[in-house]
Amino acid sequence: MTRLVDVPQQFDDRSFEQFASSFAQGAAGGERLLFDAHATEWASPYGFVALLVAGQAVQGAGRERPLLTIPANPRVLSYWTRAGFFQQAQALFEIHGKVPKIKPAEESDVLLPVTAVRAAEDVHQVVSHIQQRATAILTSQLGIDPKATVGFAMALSEACQNIVEHAGTGGWVAVQRYEWKRRLSKKVVVIAVGDAGVGFRHTLEPTQSKRFGDRWGDGAALEAALIQGTSRFRDPGRGQGLKGIRSYLSRWDGKIAIRSGSARIAIAPSWDDDAPLTEGLSAFPGSQVLLIIPEQGTGTS
Amino acid sequence: MIAPIDVHAVLQESVPGPYADLVTRPTGRAVRERIERALTDATVATMDFTGVRCIDYSCADEIVAKLLRSVQILLLQGITDAHRLAIEPVLQGHGLAVVIQTGTLLEVLGPPEAAEAVCERLIERRLAERTAGGTLALTAA
Repeated sequence: MTRLVDVPQQFDDRSFEQFASSFAQGAAGGERLLFDAHATEWASPYGFVALLVAGQAVQGAGRERPLLTIPANPRVLSYWTRAGFFQQAQALFEIHGKVPKIKPAEESDVLLPVTAVRAAEDVHQVVSHIQQRATAILTSQLGIDPKATVGFAMALSEACQNIVEHAGTGGWVAVQRYEWKRRLSKKVVVIAVGDAGVGFRHTLEPTQSKRFGDRWGDGAALEAALIQGTSRFRDPGRGQGLKGIRSYLSRWDGKIAIRSGSARIAIAPSWDDDAPLTEGLSAFPGSQVLLIIPEQGTGTS
Repeated sequence: MIAPIDVHAVLQESVPGPYADLVTRPTGRAVRERIERALTDATVATMDFTGVRCIDYSCADEIVAKLLRSVQILLLQGITDAHRLAIEPVLQGHGLAVVIQTGTLLEVLGPPEAAEAVCERLIERRLAERTAGGTLALTAA
């Protein structure tokens, strides 16, 4: 018996809850899971990372290797391949369908193909790669000061380090440039980082749960980490990473959202209407971080 | 005071691969430990960041903030705006200050109280003097 997990037709941070709900229902049973992406028309870096995280969680639970049906649309399939998704997915899923043989990411929109992050060495590679690939796009297409592109690399580094330092498992990062015609009428760079690790609540529980008392949960843990800059370490130098990311995004009118467990927190600029904190969502493994940096200086719609 | 420590060279020795970015805590720790071995008991140290493209908060904390536990005065050379972006908030968080050296000119970076204490230390040790314009400059050796 297999249990179907629907992959949304447009799979990004906004349709993620639909996927998380379907995954939670599927994961609750003991059947083999079938991730059905045949009708998927588009996926953002957040969608790619979420799909891999779900596969990783299934593998981590010692369950039978899940199935994945690939998108039916050849154009979509080609894009998923170029984005490096299948290179990572083949270790987690039994893939159904013929994946084209295309080298990932030589095109300019994919700033960083879906890349595994397991150790500090991987973060070095990600930061080095992104500085070589992204500087021109950030400056010429997004209007970000050339000097500030290093800040972009710093933010990416800190986001990836959360996996290495706290997740207790590996994860993935992907970075892509988009033209957001309907949502913002601007170009944006989207960074997605995710893992199927222990999540923020588990990481912070030993040092923070008493302070929050009855309020303690996934939402409070996210609030402690992102808003209060709390770390599981008592060292005052810890917790600077997320603070630094916030400060960088605030300078460039960007957005950060983190989902962990059954909660999601967001610091959204004026162009976005995301809720600051949402609790009681479907449980999803680990943590998923979303960073969005919009094109500068043309006003928001 | 000993010769400036070439941070880029130490980075190259500390990580496998030709990276120019000081990122991640394990890298910061490895770089700091090498620097600490070179410094032995020095209380004043100079570090040259020329060639280091990016430093993140974790590395700034591991290297700069933690070296200041043993070193009283830390002079940083070859510092770019991008480096400051990471170093400044770390210094603020710890209440520490470092000295940025550009030619003979010195700038103390850190929260006011810590910066003032470092200024006094520099003058006390005759490492720096106040110029007519009120800035700090290295004393002629």
